[in-house]
Amino acid sequence: MAARTQKAKPVRRTRPVAPTRRRLWLMYPPRLIREPLIWRLSGKFHIVTNIRQASVTDEIGIVCLELQGGQADVKASIHWLEKQGVNVEPVEISVVES
Amino acid sequence: MEKHSGYMQALRCRECGREYPLTATHVCEFDFGPLEVVYDYNRIKKSLTREVIQSRPKSMWRYRELLPVANGPTIGLEVGFTPLIKADRLAKRLGVREVWIKNDAVNYPTLSFKDRVVSVALSRARELGFDTVACASTGNLANSVAANAAAAGLKAYVFIPTDLESGKIINSLIYGANVIGIKGHYDEVNRLCAEIAGKFDWAFVNVNMRPYYAEGSKSMGYEIVEQLNWKVPKHTVVCMASGSLLTKIHKSYQEFIQLGLAPGTDYKIHGAQATGCSPISTAQKAGLDFFKPVKPDTIAKSLAIGTPADGFYALKVMKDTGGAAEDVSDDELRESIRLLAETEGIFAETAGGVTVGVARKLIASGAIPEEDSLVLCITGNGLKTLDAVSGHVGQPREIRPSLREFEALVAAEARPIKA
Repeated sequence: MAARTQKAKPVRRTRPVAPTRRRLWLMYPPRLIREPLIWRLSGKFHIVTNIRQASVTDEIGIVCLELQGGQADVKASIHWLEKQGVNVEPVEISVVES
Repeated sequence: MEKHSGYMQALRCRECGREYPLTATHVCEFDFGPLEVVYDYNRIKKSLTREVIQSRPKSMWRYRELLPVANGPTIGLEVGFTPLIKADRLAKRLGVREVWIKNDAVNYPTLSFKDRVVSVALSRARELGFDTVACASTGNLANSVAANAAAAGLKAYVFIPTDLESGKIINSLIYGANVIGIKGHYDEVNRLCAEIAGKFDWAFVNVNMRPYYAEGSKSMGYEIVEQLNWKVPKHTVVCMASGSLLTKIHKSYQEFIQLGLAPGTDYKIHGAQATGCSPISTAQKAGLDFFKPVKPDTIAKSLAIGTPADGFYALKVMKDTGGAAEDVSDDELRESIRLLAETEGIFAETAGGVTVGVARKLIASGAIPEEDSLVLCITGNGLKTLDAVSGHVGQPREIRPSLREFEALVAAEARPIKA
């Protein structure tokens, strides 16, 4: 008996999205230094976080962070961090000069 | 990779010391620290002497071994060697023995010190095979990239915030650059430009070309030393936006001393900011080695960088040299622009007012002793920031076309004022 072949259902494909990579400096004001914001960020958005440098004093917390993910997720992550009160700059910092 | 890289050896991370090839790249892949050009000083010492320098044309390229190009400059050959003026009338008003003005308000071709960094960045960009150059700017940098690219036949993209004054936009459009206005807050414009720089294969002068670009500032320091008859000045006052110029002036003095072109001596480099955007001077005065970002609010737009990229390094230079930092209000900087103009005939942009105003405060506080000599670095021309002083310089007095009326006006002025 010939094997019954079942016609495969067409799989709905989404257009592959190239991951976006952003290299950022995060600057935390003193009131946010104890908050686990990067952990919360990973839970909230589908992104990969990668810390490259960090420095914490009583006055400021500075984290050099690489974010990787879909463009919308990366953009939303940056927006969420800023909403919490973190200053977010590209790793180049002052791209716009006089 | 080029076969010949001149006197450059590598790019090195300022944080971890890892080295990279001399390509168009700007941050360390390991810790994202900024990269800086490393030179072969032993070879430079054998070929660069005072005599060699003095035999060359009077431009910033007379120090070419210490600038990051492999095969010599191709763009901006006339840039630099601006006047160093002994400012006796200003010294008297400031109450100090001797003042020198390094006047980049007359730098060629766009009347600011940015022509130095841009001519280096574009010369190096051409060596690396780029045909398109770009920058994001609110003023002097845009003008300089547009003008120097036009003269070199390179395609230029200039990104600006849309709310920029029309005069500044015209100063870039006139050279035929592609000027793109971006709607949005400064932070968004900044991030988008970093993204564009990462995506397009262009020479973005202050992003992927930054290690080369920043080195151009050193030429201001070399010229100061040569024009002071090969002496490093005791005090130098430098305005700070990103803080890069201050660190590079320090590097230039160090290099000249190391190469034996100037005798070793103690010197202090002082930093100047506007109070409305003073993250570095605030940190220095508080004795901190880091700064807190601020939202700029000052008429000194060319210094309005709230998160200065080289702030940490500028603080270190001031600490290492024993320099101080100070800041001045918008009213104080306007007054200082007038003081410089009225005493020396030099019309500086707002950043120049900041430098003069801060020098005055540092002399008053004793940070610069009155028996010492100092150099003030003036970085741009007042014709570019007329709005900042408009309404603060008085009005012309009007008369009818009558000699009698003019004589009456002169007589009124000559009349002694009664107490």
